[in-house]
Amino acid sequence: MIAGRGRQRIRPPRRGLHGDEIDFENTWATIEAAFREIHTKNASKLSYEELYRHAYRIVLKKKGEQLYNKVHGFERGWLASEVRASIQQLLSPNLLAEAQGAGATSPNERRVAGEKFLKGLKQAWGDHQVCMSMLADVLMYMDRVYCADHRRIPIYNAAMVLFRDEILNSPISVIDARAILGLINHVILDQIQMERDGDVIDKQLIKSCVWMLEGLHEDETESEEQRLYNVSFEKDYLDTSRLFYRGESERLLQDSDAGAYCSHARRRIYEEDERCKQTLLESTGPKIQKVVEDELIKNRIHELVEMESGVRFMVDNDRLDELNLVYDLNMRVDAKKTEITRAIQKRIFDMGTGINNDAVAASQAPVSVPAADPAEKAKGVAQEKSLNQQTVAAIKWVEDVLALKDKFDKIWRDSFDSDPLLQQAITRSFGDFINSPTFPRSSEYISLFIDENMKKGIKGKTEMEVDTVLEKAIVLLRYVQDKDLFERYYKKHLCRRLLMNKSVSNEVEKQMISKMKIELGNNFTLKLEAMFKDMTISEELTAGFKKHVDGLGEKDPKRIELAINVLTSMTWPLESMGGTVAEEEASRPRCNFPLAVEKIKRGFEKFYSQKHSGRQLTWLANMGSADIRAVFPKAVQKDGSFKERRHDLNVSTYGMVILLLFNELPTDKYLTFEEIQAQTNIPHSDLVRNLQSLAVAPKTRILIKEPMSKDVKPTDRFSFNESFSGKFVKIKVGVVSGGNKVESDRERRETEKKNDDSRQFCIEAAVVRIMKQRKELQHQQLVAETLGQLNGQFKPEVTMIKKRIESLIEREYLERIDGAKVDSYRYLA
Amino acid sequence: MDVKKKHEIEAALATEAQAISSGQLKEENPLDVSEDFRAFCEACRRGDLKVCQEKISEGVNINARDKFDYTPLILASLCGHYEVIRLLLENGALCERDTFQGERCLYNALNDRIRNLLLSYDYAKSTNPLQPLAAHITSLLTRPTPKTTDITITAYGQEFQLHKFILAARSPYFAKKLATAPSTTTWKLPHSIPAEALGVALQYLYFQEVTIRRALFGLSDEQELVVLNGIDKIGKQLEIERLFEDITEVSDRRLLRQRRGDELERGRDQLDIWFRENVLRHKMTVDTDKVDNIQWDRDNSIFADILLRADDDEEHDNPDSDQTNRSPGPLEVSVLPVRNTAGALLGLPVRNVRSRSPSRRRRPKRSTVYPAHRAMLLRSEYFLTMFSSQFKEAQDTKTLQIITIDCSPAVLETILTFMYTERADFGLDIAIDVLFAADQLFIEKLKQRAAIIISALGNGSTSAVESSNPRGETDKDEAVDIYEVIRAGWDTRVQRLEEFAARYIAYRLENYIDQPEFAELVQESANRVKARQETDTVELVDDIRYYLSERFRLRFEDSGLDGMMDEDAALKASQADLLDSMNHFALADEAPQEMKTDIQSAVDQQIAAGVIRNLDGEEVGDEFAQDAMNYQILLGKIDTLLERLNLDA
Repeated sequence: MIAGRGRQRIRPPRRGLHGDEIDFENTWATIEAAFREIHTKNASKLSYEELYRHAYRIVLKKKGEQLYNKVHGFERGWLASEVRASIQQLLSPNLLAEAQGAGATSPNERRVAGEKFLKGLKQAWGDHQVCMSMLADVLMYMDRVYCADHRRIPIYNAAMVLFRDEILNSPISVIDARAILGLINHVILDQIQMERDGDVIDKQLIKSCVWMLEGLHEDETESEEQRLYNVSFEKDYLDTSRLFYRGESERLLQDSDAGAYCSHARRRIYEEDERCKQTLLESTGPKIQKVVEDELIKNRIHELVEMESGVRFMVDNDRLDELNLVYDLNMRVDAKKTEITRAIQKRIFDMGTGINNDAVAASQAPVSVPAADPAEKAKGVAQEKSLNQQTVAAIKWVEDVLALKDKFDKIWRDSFDSDPLLQQAITRSFGDFINSPTFPRSSEYISLFIDENMKKGIKGKTEMEVDTVLEKAIVLLRYVQDKDLFERYYKKHLCRRLLMNKSVSNEVEKQMISKMKIELGNNFTLKLEAMFKDMTISEELTAGFKKHVDGLGEKDPKRIELAINVLTSMTWPLESMGGTVAEEEASRPRCNFPLAVEKIKRGFEKFYSQKHSGRQLTWLANMGSADIRAVFPKAVQKDGSFKERRHDLNVSTYGMVILLLFNELPTDKYLTFEEIQAQTNIPHSDLVRNLQSLAVAPKTRILIKEPMSKDVKPTDRFSFNESFSGKFVKIKVGVVSGGNKVESDRERRETEKKNDDSRQFCIEAAVVRIMKQRKELQHQQLVAETLGQLNGQFKPEVTMIKKRIESLIEREYLERIDGAKVDSYRYLA
Repeated sequence: MDVKKKHEIEAALATEAQAISSGQLKEENPLDVSEDFRAFCEACRRGDLKVCQEKISEGVNINARDKFDYTPLILASLCGHYEVIRLLLENGALCERDTFQGERCLYNALNDRIRNLLLSYDYAKSTNPLQPLAAHITSLLTRPTPKTTDITITAYGQEFQLHKFILAARSPYFAKKLATAPSTTTWKLPHSIPAEALGVALQYLYFQEVTIRRALFGLSDEQELVVLNGIDKIGKQLEIERLFEDITEVSDRRLLRQRRGDELERGRDQLDIWFRENVLRHKMTVDTDKVDNIQWDRDNSIFADILLRADDDEEHDNPDSDQTNRSPGPLEVSVLPVRNTAGALLGLPVRNVRSRSPSRRRRPKRSTVYPAHRAMLLRSEYFLTMFSSQFKEAQDTKTLQIITIDCSPAVLETILTFMYTERADFGLDIAIDVLFAADQLFIEKLKQRAAIIISALGNGSTSAVESSNPRGETDKDEAVDIYEVIRAGWDTRVQRLEEFAARYIAYRLENYIDQPEFAELVQESANRVKARQETDTVELVDDIRYYLSERFRLRFEDSGLDGMMDEDAALKASQADLLDSMNHFALADEAPQEMKTDIQSAVDQQIAAGVIRNLDGEEVGDEFAQDAMNYQILLGKIDTLLERLNLDA
């Protein structure tokens, strides 16, 4: 064809690509010869261009299918004849026998034989891959054009499948029908077992064999699950591992202690993980982990925790690392960590109960001490002593609990990775033993602990330290269920501190209250705050009254200054102050104040009723105190001086009343106990205590008692001690019954009774609130809701709730719904 | 999308005009009043694919505008020539949204199909046509295997593995240096230039998009200064003056694109010049049986590391064809004895060998050998595989290996030109050969180019405007053997050629429908489908039917009766419409069975006689009626053919 003049013309393709046939057989012969060269590693002489051209031509001639089949056939033939034979030669009789389970060879022999086999296999596989990639390069055009058009798998992949069929699935030898694949699995597993036993194996070699299994698939779908590795090897591997670890765990549990077991288990897990990374495939990681975890942990964790050297041992000996191991292992198999949680809870409860029992024992022990020492001390003192012992026990209890808490906090933090579930569990256990029904004193003890610290403990401490102390108290408070009981005690102790000015720092008190407010809510601290408020108002009142008195213009140099605390009777637990019971309060005869005092008392009553009309003031002389300036006549002192002495005496109000009696009395006269009682009308017990402190206590013996003894009897006579002297100008005369004391049993019963009474109101209020809202409700639900509502304050007993409901029905707040299937109530408006 | 106010647009246009006049910005659509461009625009107006392709090959600025402010793309879009638009877009015509010309183009689009085509080529998606070349060269910087580098440049302990031929082509400095010492394998940089600066310069030479900011990322101020100085220095030393300017950051997208475009263009031209002056100038033509005597030393002045050989076509119908067809004749190198000494020898240490005996009487077969660089050949997957494999070709030999490429020298030259310069302008005469060669060597872009050339130029002069040839008149001197084209299309899996051929046949169906070769072709197409187990239609026939409807529909539209033919309706529907219209005009209803007579001659006679008749020779009222009739007759014939071949379609 000539190119047209001025215009180009298309020419048909040169060399007649169409139409004329090419000599397929000859071309194929050339290609086949070249392939043979490639397989025998003589490729460097071959020309890629030529081979490609041949293949290209064939495909262009639409003989792609023939070519494909020929290549496929050639590969099959090559694998079946050459490669299989070379693999079979590698199989030593020992190896075969071993694989059947009849192994009598040493591990070393096995390893060498196995490695030889794997090496040969790896070599064959590697060669096959290299050759096939070269073939695929040459046949690129066929792959792209023929295979793509006719949906045949690329020749490379097809050849890989052939390797599986012709080599891996072929029998070991003519007479032995077992497949090579099985043997591979066996050898690899054997090697892994050797590694587990501490031998060094050729990981790289195994890894390459594993890669081979990974690259091949069981069927044609080529899905992930169908890889030979997954289908054939992995399963065997998991099974043998399971057996191995089952045996191992049994042996270890018998032979070693829990700590060793844990670290061993952890090492095994790590080892298997590493093995998957280095020797096998990472995808097996999670599966073998599960096997190891199942066998070493899940099925054994119970035994492990309960072992003699188990969790209990570790806790007691502060084996934080081992606990961490146990925790770690348990977490692997159980997200809830049931076993370790259970063990820890049990331990906490046991130890807590131990502390409780110690406290109970400590508080009771002293009673027997004086009993064993009959010559010593009268009964009352013994009781006093025992009360002090109880206080010590209470504080010890608190410190013990805190120490326990610290211990477990540390364990929790260091060994349990601050696990929130375990934190809950620990908290619950602490709550359990603190609120244990066999130990009802926790509220009181905690309050006492605070009281003790408020009065003495925090003296000289930095703010930070004070804060930690308060925080500790709050921590314990969190555990306490019966918050109302605690409130009651706290109020009592606070009251005492406030009125007697025993608090080291008002700031700290307020701090504590704000902490409680955060922790327990507004309701809880309402009354406590009101107490503080009363105190401030009282200060104002005192100042106001003073001004008022100044305003009267009555400049009496002997005037008595009055400092007054006006307490709202509802907020203050007054009844518990003087050890008297509420009912006695009303019937109690008023104390007769001396004239001067009586005058000022009236003055104040008048002043107060002007400010707040309609309020009644009740004077609680048993709680007041007075500063008296006393002048003692000249007398010879120990140091030989002879002079008049002035002392500022700080005594209780009663003490003042008593002392003032002696003002009018000539020095050589005396008053008997009965006379004093008759003149002052002070309650018996208070009088006894006050006289004790004025006449018995060695440092403040302002009165002389006859006969001299510790007890005060009605017939005793008292006279003014003119020769009294003290080192200081100011002398504080303590009243014997002051101080923080653990309640006596009687007191406790009273407290509880009061508590129960107030609880009854709370319950009733809650029930009514709920019913008002719901109108009708089933019994169970009502109880549940009531419990829920009161959860923040205390945990009422169900029987109590039932009783309250009954009572409400009686009072026609509620009625039963007749004919309801389950007990139900209706609210009556 | 927010709509800009008129004054905003005016302001933007004004700033643009200012930028252009001050020389900061190149005008995207410069005024072009040359005759060539006028002809180009005219072709776009008429939809003349062939002229368009020719003009593009000649190198007219495809984005220029005429004196009426029209760009070729706007014209083609306005006149509704889908194929032309596609051709223009594929050759880099711009249609960017938010530009004046771009929006004009979209606004003027004749129909939605064209509009969608334009949108699909929005600049955001299209890339510079030279980008593949640039990307390849950039990748050479980091490609570890197969090894193609032949020089190592060291600066401060950092080594850069590079290619001498790229350095020589891109930097005059290297060109001079390497010309004096072509066998150098290492080069040390003066200590004043930091490695980072060299890196930037090299990336620039290798067509990577470098910006100063990226180059200086993470450096302290001091280091920055040193590097900047270094860049300045190395730019001067390597005589790439534009380096500094070109890598300076600019924010304007359009300016950036222009600069990148310019740089690629200039780089390509450098490569092109180098390629011509070195590779092409050193090609050797020798007798085929002497070809194995050629020995090139590995150290040669053009740094070639491989020789490619192409044999002349064995049997030519016309012995003089290679004189007429061959582009610039091969350089005949004088015969020199083989010398293996390395080093610079009197200019070029190039040796080639010819037979010791001078040419014989009978002209022996001749082969042409081109020196080449593997680095560039890697653009073909064929060569990539070859050089990465373990076969003979991939091994390092003392003298360069000769690889035979299964095509004629002209084709090989075309391929090499494409791989070195991305240029692919070749004639129709070798188009099919190029197509096959590109297919064999896996050079997809070249394949597409060949297909474009065939489909654009293949229509010959008759079909300059297809729509004006509704009656299937043909030039006696057909430019293409359409059977060859469609088979080539099938063999090389180029959809475009199949479409082209179907269209070609459809527009001349009268000439083909009765040929036995056509029946054979239809049968082949049917078999192909069956082999691929796809739908049981015959692709070729479907395509022909489609184009047939297009061919006649255009006529109906011209007659203002487009209401009858829903533009996008399926063929069946339009057939029914057509029947209606035929009845409407009360024309003779012809049954397909009557079509067995040899009508071709009859038609010829009728035409000669000037009587308007349909293809069966019946007389009809006017041309329109004739078209309607002919359409029906052709469809009928296709059905008959299928029936005869026992095909289901």
